[in-house]
Amino acid sequence: MPNIPQPQRQDEPVVTEADLAALLAGTTDAIPGLLPVADILAALTAEPTGAELAGEAHALAEFRRQAGAPVPATTARRGTAGLTSRFGVKVGASITAVAIVLGGGVAAAFADVLPAPIQRLAHEAIGAPVPRPGVPHRARPGVPMRAAHGQPAARGGPGAKRQPRPHATATHAAQGSQGNSQGKGSQSEQGKGSSQGQGNKHGNGQGNGQAKQGAARHGTHGSPQMNRRPAGHPRRSVRPGQS
Amino acid sequence: MRTSAGARTASTVIGEEFAGLLAAAQGGSEAAFSRLWRNANPALVRYLRVIAPGAEEDTAAETWVHVVRGLSAFRGDEQAWRAWLFTTARRRAIDLARHRARRPEAALDDVTAAQLPSSADSAETAMENLSTAAAIALLAGLPRLQAEVILLRVVAGLDTESVARILRKSPGAVRVAAHRGLRRLAQITADAGVTL
Repeated sequence: MPNIPQPQRQDEPVVTEADLAALLAGTTDAIPGLLPVADILAALTAEPTGAELAGEAHALAEFRRQAGAPVPATTARRGTAGLTSRFGVKVGASITAVAIVLGGGVAAAFADVLPAPIQRLAHEAIGAPVPRPGVPHRARPGVPMRAAHGQPAARGGPGAKRQPRPHATATHAAQGSQGNSQGKGSQSEQGKGSSQGQGNKHGNGQGNGQAKQGAARHGTHGSPQMNRRPAGHPRRSVRPGQS
Repeated sequence: MRTSAGARTASTVIGEEFAGLLAAAQGGSEAAFSRLWRNANPALVRYLRVIAPGAEEDTAAETWVHVVRGLSAFRGDEQAWRAWLFTTARRRAIDLARHRARRPEAALDDVTAAQLPSSADSAETAMENLSTAAAIALLAGLPRLQAEVILLRVVAGLDTESVARILRKSPGAVRVAAHRGLRRLAQITADAGVTL
């Protein structure tokens, strides 16, 4: 059957907004045109059925349970604990990683094994040892020491580019002086100014000339290459400041 | 002239006793809490029958679990109490609808007739035996906003401003939706040929 809309009957009263508002508020009598609607609204607020009150026992049980254990504290503790646990793990891991990195960096700085520019920064920042020119890295077992590694050419002064040459020459001088130049060379590193004379005293002419060249260079830079014992002697590296 | 609308307000509002009941319930009185529950749960279930059909009982129970948990911290009058109750129920219903959308559980054959969308026949049936369930079925045939506004105004006993806050609409939009819903209900009853 087709659903044909029917025109509104002329005898029906006009429903105003005020009538609808009053119907919702339930404070006034409904006009005839809204009586069915008023009945519907009244049915919506009728006496509760048994099914609508069936859940009381469950609600009371929940109420008793919450009354025994304060809910907000429990909820907050549970939620906060989970949050704290997850957050704590992240923070702990981050702190550990940062501590490892910083600790390693500080240890490396105080061990004087950092490259010279970084070591210089560490010296200025945390008081790490000043980078020794010519000793940018601590000698490691099995790793041949390079003469001018990490040493800036500007700081090397004259003859810095010819670093290997005095190395070999110093060895010859030491050989020529039968080991005396070793100890005297140490004096020259200490800046005592006596290495030149001692070198001349115990060395030959060649050794004197080379020792002079080495003193001119290593008296300034303190390279340990000059202090190496000849082959066959126990390997001992004499660092600046050591006697 | 009928005056059926005038009696419902008194049946849904506790009134002056509310503050004492709330304080007693917050202090752990089961009797006071039971009184609050008996006053509010029927309206809650009727509201949920429209916005969460088929799950009104479970949703109401879950609503009360949340209410009990936050009961000690609640502050407000009866209007605020009801607004809190129905706001919580609405959120639970929305969560349930999302859960159902992700995981549909019931086949169409398992859905009862009461859960099916209402049609013109449901209006005729409702008018033949006007009960609470029939009235709810009639409201379920309205657009969602209009049905919710009427239920919250009439069943929950909330004012326009409280309903607007719950639905996140302006008070004007709530009034318009309520009036349109009532007009549509009047039209449905007129089309069904009901003369009272």
